[in-house]
Amino acid sequence: MTTVTELAPVTPVLSHRPWWRGKLVQTAGIVALMYLAYRAWALEYPWPDRLEWHRLTGHLDDFQTWLIDERNAQDPGFVFTIFNSFATFVDHLVNWFDRLLLWLTWVGTTVAGTLIALRFGGWRAAAWVAGAFATFAVTGLWLESMQTLALMLAAVGLSLLVGIPLGIYAGLSDRFLRAITPVLDAMQIVPTFAYLIPVVILFSVGPGAAVVSTMIYAIPPAVRITALGIRGVPVNTVEAATSMGATGGQVLSKVQLPLSRRTLLLGVNQTIMFALSMVVIAGLIGGGGLGDVVTSGLYTNPALAILGGVAIVIMAMALDRSTEAVANRTDPAHRHLTEARRGRLRLATVATVVGIVLTVTLAKLFGAAAIYPETATAQDWLVAHVQSVLDYVQDPTTFVFSITEPLGTFIVVQLVQPLLQFLVEAPWFTTLAGVTAIAFVVSGLRPAVTTLAMFTAIGVLGMWEPAMETFAQVLVATAMTVLIGVALGVWAAESNAVSKTLRPINDVLQTLPQLVYIIPFVYLMPISYVPGIVASVLYAFPAVVRLVERGVRDVAPDTVEAASAFGATRRQVLGKVKIPLASDAVMLGVNQGIIMVLGVVVIAGLVGSGGLGYLVAQGLQRGQFGLGLLASLAILAMGIALDRVTQASRRTRKEGIV
Amino acid sequence: MRKAGSVDNKEGSMFKKVGARLTLLLGASLVAVIGLVSSGSALGGAGQSCGTVTLNEYGWAGSTANTYVAKYVLEKRLGCTVKITKITEVPSYQAMADGKVDAVLEDWGYPDQFAQYVTKQKTVVFVGSNGLLGHIGWFIPKYLLKQYPQFKTWKGLKGKESVFKTPESGSQGTFLGGDPAFQQKDKELIEALGLDFKHVTAGGYSAEVARVSQLIKQRKPVIFYWWTPEYLNAYLNLVEVQLPPRFKGCNDVGGGGGDVKQYRCRYASVPLKKLFSKEFAQSGSPAVKVLRKFKWPNNDAQNLVGKWITVDKLKPDKAAEKWVKANAATVNAWLK
Repeated sequence: MTTVTELAPVTPVLSHRPWWRGKLVQTAGIVALMYLAYRAWALEYPWPDRLEWHRLTGHLDDFQTWLIDERNAQDPGFVFTIFNSFATFVDHLVNWFDRLLLWLTWVGTTVAGTLIALRFGGWRAAAWVAGAFATFAVTGLWLESMQTLALMLAAVGLSLLVGIPLGIYAGLSDRFLRAITPVLDAMQIVPTFAYLIPVVILFSVGPGAAVVSTMIYAIPPAVRITALGIRGVPVNTVEAATSMGATGGQVLSKVQLPLSRRTLLLGVNQTIMFALSMVVIAGLIGGGGLGDVVTSGLYTNPALAILGGVAIVIMAMALDRSTEAVANRTDPAHRHLTEARRGRLRLATVATVVGIVLTVTLAKLFGAAAIYPETATAQDWLVAHVQSVLDYVQDPTTFVFSITEPLGTFIVVQLVQPLLQFLVEAPWFTTLAGVTAIAFVVSGLRPAVTTLAMFTAIGVLGMWEPAMETFAQVLVATAMTVLIGVALGVWAAESNAVSKTLRPINDVLQTLPQLVYIIPFVYLMPISYVPGIVASVLYAFPAVVRLVERGVRDVAPDTVEAASAFGATRRQVLGKVKIPLASDAVMLGVNQGIIMVLGVVVIAGLVGSGGLGYLVAQGLQRGQFGLGLLASLAILAMGIALDRVTQASRRTRKEGIV
Repeated sequence: MRKAGSVDNKEGSMFKKVGARLTLLLGASLVAVIGLVSSGSALGGAGQSCGTVTLNEYGWAGSTANTYVAKYVLEKRLGCTVKITKITEVPSYQAMADGKVDAVLEDWGYPDQFAQYVTKQKTVVFVGSNGLLGHIGWFIPKYLLKQYPQFKTWKGLKGKESVFKTPESGSQGTFLGGDPAFQQKDKELIEALGLDFKHVTAGGYSAEVARVSQLIKQRKPVIFYWWTPEYLNAYLNLVEVQLPPRFKGCNDVGGGGGDVKQYRCRYASVPLKKLFSKEFAQSGSPAVKVLRKFKWPNNDAQNLVGKWITVDKLKPDKAAEKWVKANAATVNAWLK
């Protein structure tokens, strides 16, 4: 049961308590008790039927039926008229962007994008953007890429329109921040699949609906980072402004917003990244573009699906690098505007505009097509080559397979299966009590109460067994994520070369649609659970690497120097000083890792993980709204419990040390 | 490849065709004017030339075959512009109700959605079968029958379940369940038949195809949820395991609880449906008439097109063209 204890934080370094009071030991004791109960009463006490709310599913289904009938009535009510007109508005907006990008012709769009990146982001950003357009052209996915780009422009624009004002308010008011945080959590943890049906009922299908479901996922980072930016403005600066007689509005517009501009732009950057990760799912309800290439390619032409995935990744990286460059440039600390420089910038802006207009006019005059000409793409060649790699992967007689298959079998037989059996078959009350007790030991009373409430809710919703199946996999995946993430994070913090190598890999893993890289694993480790676990680990560990790396790098240099001065070796500095002092960042990494692992549960259900993920997918695809919603709520409940436990353990550590 | 439909919308290729189709257009608009005047209906656009038709393609090879064959016929023979959307099954009902999708050519039947949208609201219209007979069942690779001839029927599986053992099933045999989107009752069937199988979900369609085809390549035993028509059956050489005969009131929709005896029969064979949006059905577009008649001669025809697309990697447009050219008589019957 090593996996359970993984969740517990490392034993406090500064602890002077006797060994038997350590959290690790206590947790192990609780697990041992649970195991004894499991040996004694395995399979005898499944979650009692009496404690399930059976009629809830029916009520939810009835509600959906009612909603659809109202929606499609001859004369839909006022509320639906509002939803409808919003959807129509967004449809038009997306189509307008789409037509604009095509109207500019492929030459014009490329030049415009590159010049704008050059003016505001610099050479590197421009190179990224030009490279991205080249990729769309070479892969023969120009039209699809433009559709996705149009969808992104609309979704990101609207997300910021909603997110930034809310974020500013959350930055100014503590009460509002407290009120909105659980809502933001829910928006990020509840699987997208769960709200696709309600979104379709309210907003119909098409770009409008796709934008709405993307917004639900992309607004939270916009709000959070904006609030963070506003809160990051030094208090004395604000006080100085207030004491000089500035009103609240003046302080906001002249002090807080300008000073947090860099953070705000990073918020834009994150919003774009979150929105892009929804491209594939938005495709299911009419989003079109690259999402369609991925989903439909998976069964007719997997190699093309992979090309689509690559185009998405390149688009994400180009947008990420260029918005980051813009953010860095506007940072007041880096920007020393002299009158001459200001003049030069103005000139550059004019040159950019002239350049764009000129290119578009010339392109139109010479009859450049809206779409990069199909005859000049390398799509067939690329598809053929990707296909030969896939053929190799699918071949069960290769050397690679002789390693991956036993590895996959090992993970299932030695790790997942025993844990799963233990969680599913142990009496429900010992599992419930055990999980609560561990939460108490690890992080205190409040998280323990939350955990008890959340796990009870899972049972009452009738989701105990599938939830335990998912829980076992989440624990194994989180353990692997943390192990890999912390190891690589520490290594990256110590070595710049490693850090540089890891960054693009991390970016690819976080933006490549999971459905794309999961398929090779279905072939290589053909056993249920494993591809899903691999997908969650690959998706979640980059975040842990980043947080851990930053944490270790941020350890005050004078502390490190002091330790070295006392004769500590590099390893001692790392083990006794840097990592313990960075434990906060490490715990934040664990926390983020768990949330991200939970985010992949539904996708994992689509490649054989079963559990809650399969039920959510079933709810969407078979129209069983109630079932899908309850399974999603169970995922949310599990997420809240795990989040609070890992978050609070960070807090208690902090208080213990200070 | 998937571009062609929407490209036509945006690019100028429409203009080139206009000249060639002028006569057709004139004729059609004449009919439209007469139709409008005689019916006195306020429905704008009724009976006009074909215009744009939106077909929805689902996530399996057969649906791609239907959609692209229909697209080819509508575009080349009627001069319509065909747009293809890829909305997943249940949301596609709402898409039809909103008139955002005109037609779906292969619906496997979602009882709740059918009852609500087709029977009750009448926002979606059922226009008959597409000529395919859909049937779900338990399938095994044919080579298994050499060693275990008794696997022809479910009775022969009894006591031999451990042949299908995999690492995740312990001492039991593994039964690979289907895509969460598809109707299934295998858990209940396994229980009702008293078989020692563990129901393992392979996940979505592509994941199940991946796992099954690999096991077959290794010539390992596998038993799984599968169906006809499907191009893979011939390609992988699959046979169906006979399940108990159907009886009155036998239930095919699992997951509802209750006595498992009610599920103790093979799955029904159902004609696959064509569905139109109400708006499209009443539009009087010439495409309506053709799609109403659209019908595969048999399951094999669709499987063939499916195989061309997935195995031979023919672009769907090209596969459709190839089939339509080889089956002119069938296609002409749709156009009469």
